[in-house]
Amino acid sequence: MTPLVVFLLVFLSFPALVNIVYSLSDVTFQTMRAPEIVGLRNFGEVLIDPEFWAASWFSLRFGVLTAVIECSLGLALAIFLSPIVSRHGWTMAILMLPMMVAASMVGLMYRLVLHEFAGPLPHYLTLWFGTSPAFLDANNAFWTLVVVEVLQWTPFAFLLFHVAYISIPSEIREAAAMDRASAWKIFWRIELPMMKATIAIALGIRFIDGFRVFDNVFALTGAGAGGSTMSLSIYIYQSFFKGGQIGQAVAASALLFLASLVLLYGGALLHSRLGQRRAAA
Amino acid sequence: MTKMRSLMAAGLAAFLSATAIPGIASAEVTVLGWPGGSEETALRAAVEAYNALPDVADDDKVELLFFNRDGFYDKLQADLAAGSDAFDINLIATYSVGRYAPFMEPVDLGADAEKVFGKPILETMQFEGKQYGVPTDLSLHFMYYRKDLIDALMSDEGAKTKFAEISQKYLGEALEPKAPDEWTWNDWAVTALYFTKSVNPDSPVRYGTVLQMKNLLFNMMVFQSLPRAYGADWMDASGKVTVDSPAYRAGLELYKKLYDAGATPKDSLSYEYPETNAAWTSGQVATALQWNAAAGELMNPDTAPGVAENTAVVAPPAGPEGRKDHIHGLGLGLNKNSKHKEGAVRFLKWLASEDAVLAYAKAGGSPALSPSVVEKIAAERPDLVKLGEFAGSYGYVMNGATSANALSIYEVQAKEFTAYWAGQKSLDEALSAATTSMTDLLK
Amino acid sequence: MNVLRWIVFAIAAFAMNFPVIVTLITSFKGAREIAMNPGLLIQAPTFANYAKVLTDTSRFNIYAYLLNSTVAALIGSVLALLLTVPAAYAIVRTGAGRRHLFPLVANLRAVPLVVFAIPLYMMFQFVGLLDTRLGLGLILTIVNLPLSLMMMVNAIADMPGEIDEAARMDRAGAFVILRRIVSPLIRPAVVTAFTFGFITAWNEYLFGLMLTTREAVPVTVGASFFFSASGGGVQWGVASAVMILGALPPAVLGMLIYKQLTGSMTAGAVKG
Repeated sequence: MTPLVVFLLVFLSFPALVNIVYSLSDVTFQTMRAPEIVGLRNFGEVLIDPEFWAASWFSLRFGVLTAVIECSLGLALAIFLSPIVSRHGWTMAILMLPMMVAASMVGLMYRLVLHEFAGPLPHYLTLWFGTSPAFLDANNAFWTLVVVEVLQWTPFAFLLFHVAYISIPSEIREAAAMDRASAWKIFWRIELPMMKATIAIALGIRFIDGFRVFDNVFALTGAGAGGSTMSLSIYIYQSFFKGGQIGQAVAASALLFLASLVLLYGGALLHSRLGQRRAAA
Repeated sequence: MTKMRSLMAAGLAAFLSATAIPGIASAEVTVLGWPGGSEETALRAAVEAYNALPDVADDDKVELLFFNRDGFYDKLQADLAAGSDAFDINLIATYSVGRYAPFMEPVDLGADAEKVFGKPILETMQFEGKQYGVPTDLSLHFMYYRKDLIDALMSDEGAKTKFAEISQKYLGEALEPKAPDEWTWNDWAVTALYFTKSVNPDSPVRYGTVLQMKNLLFNMMVFQSLPRAYGADWMDASGKVTVDSPAYRAGLELYKKLYDAGATPKDSLSYEYPETNAAWTSGQVATALQWNAAAGELMNPDTAPGVAENTAVVAPPAGPEGRKDHIHGLGLGLNKNSKHKEGAVRFLKWLASEDAVLAYAKAGGSPALSPSVVEKIAAERPDLVKLGEFAGSYGYVMNGATSANALSIYEVQAKEFTAYWAGQKSLDEALSAATTSMTDLLK
Repeated sequence: MNVLRWIVFAIAAFAMNFPVIVTLITSFKGAREIAMNPGLLIQAPTFANYAKVLTDTSRFNIYAYLLNSTVAALIGSVLALLLTVPAAYAIVRTGAGRRHLFPLVANLRAVPLVVFAIPLYMMFQFVGLLDTRLGLGLILTIVNLPLSLMMMVNAIADMPGEIDEAARMDRAGAFVILRRIVSPLIRPAVVTAFTFGFITAWNEYLFGLMLTTREAVPVTVGASFFFSASGGGVQWGVASAVMILGALPPAVLGMLIYKQLTGSMTAGAVKG
């Protein structure tokens, strides 16, 4: 416990302090060493900025959608493929491969993959069906990005579920099978509840990662036509570096930090309440 | 287990030695250059020539540093703002002079520099009247076109009716096919529509043009020569933002018309430099407004097989105000926190001399040079003659485009203009939003 | 049934790995072929892209970048575990820090870390950690802490409490319990967390960009010498070769680790 706390204090207390000052200051790259305190103005400006809300909405939709799709797909694959994956280790290695490539590079490669003339996907679609959709135009970009993210990170959920699934003691399943429970019933009544914690964790992690998505979106569509694919991370990055509005960028991050903290605390509180009620009952 | 432990110990030892803090940099002059392109090759050659000069002292010798290209300016921004002295000389560009000037020191390049580059080119590296760097490379745009297609069109009498018909339908006036160096923007637009399959099923190629419409600040530089030919500017002499003008409207509407008509690939809203090149090399595109730097790739039979021989360039088309071509310079200037300023200034002064720029140009760089200097290298680099000619006759810099917020202004335009092209905002909404943001940034 | 499983596996593997496959194929195509042939079948395979990446070391020293990435990613993933395993044990068993420390750390993952870039830059400049592998490794540790802590807390919470309780009865010290009893039991989770941590650290870009200049440049940053989003062309073939080389170390690690993972689990099952 102590080492972690010491480490955090050493490395994050200074940046955190600086950031608190910045969030309350009028500060640009020129005035970084002498910020002028202006109170809560940055927070006000962020909160009335429609772009901030548009970016939050993009991130929220993106986070929820990708987390749910990745976890459902990952769970289905983990269970369905478990017999062959636990017997042949190499299959696992292949399924984990997409995660090994940096997301920014995956984004870059999709610019080639989806290119109308140089990309293999439109090439084969045109060859077989005579036409290929505009994957990255303003209407389709969101869904294309969801698919890109899902294809890369379903393996993450898959790996977690696979480990959790094969850790379920085989006796339990055997006992259930003895009672002539159907496979569905075993899944719903026994396996799923036993994997509950892992599912919650996987959903949580994938949601957070989807919510703060940056690399692949930035490489593939940037902020998108009219800012239509601007995630909150892109919003903060752009106001930080391109806009040079450090105070506002930091204020936006602080808001994000607080919002997710409230969510986490709320979740924990709800969890312990439910736990108590169940214990009481 | 013991084996495991000794392995871990060995690993740890190797680890610690590998993480030792690197030694203090030598006393040499360090130059941070623009990596990955012809600029890098040319700079390497120039530095080699400089270091070989007999009167350059050992601790004045120049060492090169390149960090990556994506995020280059963000990293440079952080380094400069934090007062890094990891480099003595760093890259600047016309659109970022104002932003980096507070962290840099002006340099006096001497009277000869003006003879070498000419006044307008030196000005691309100036901020508030002071010279912040040596202009090493100049960027502008060419209108690339397919000679074979245009020649066929010009010699085909029967095509004229079809051409006029398309022209009447989309632009409301019957135009005739014209040679590229006589194109107005409307002539070009009709030509692009004529070579579009969805408009003219007989077109030998799929698209008449390829527009770079991604929400990216560099794409605004490509685009703005069109409204500029109609007289557009960022602000007038009194400092009033003039983006909501008939000129910008004409340009924005023409792009949208072409996009909606399918004259440019349907993914154009995600296109930038490399996508445009890839579309061009596929041979399915008739014209493209693209950076001069792409000429090397698009006119080389190895990288553009099948189309290179038929690829030709002219200056961007004309508007009521004549031809206009966006120019900006890349250059090298002095870091305020440099620990080795004298040596750095010595190198910069040398770099602005005739010998140096000729060495730089011979090695593939693209400096814009005054007519008397470019003559000396015309045989080896005919393209530099064209570069100097276009820059001299058509080059412009928008009023405000070297200010501290120039990059942010391009960002704002990129966002608002792409919103209009994508149909998310009306032209009025986009222009009024751009006016508000630009007024704020140009204060 | 098994045939069906194999079919599903093949489809999933192909779809998820599609960009990887395209990258691999592109890395063996020459510039000419990339322009002419967008398909997946290579007409004239070439090693020129790899040769360029591996030999052009005066410009682009991929060996140094790979070493930098390896060292920094190892620090970032191992140190994160060394810090979070004891902390997670304390959080689960004593409840200390459960209320505030755990959510605070976990929450770090939600914030775009770019806002820490400038203060960390100044701090590192002051203590001389700028442009060092150690410095980069320490930052990557911060990046990895949230996920690592979440996974460790989850794993230790799943562990039956009686085992270490018995040890505690025997007055064994916390450290001994951690090393002798807890560590073996949560090994699969540790291995998984290490793998994720290593991959995350390996693929981190922003801090690699901001905090290194010359000595400690990681491969994600160095690689982009070959492709650019602004003003320069992408040399797709060379870029693909760099990507493949850059993804090789974590991929190899993933395969080795997976054997570890299955091995330890079957061992546990036999004993159980």
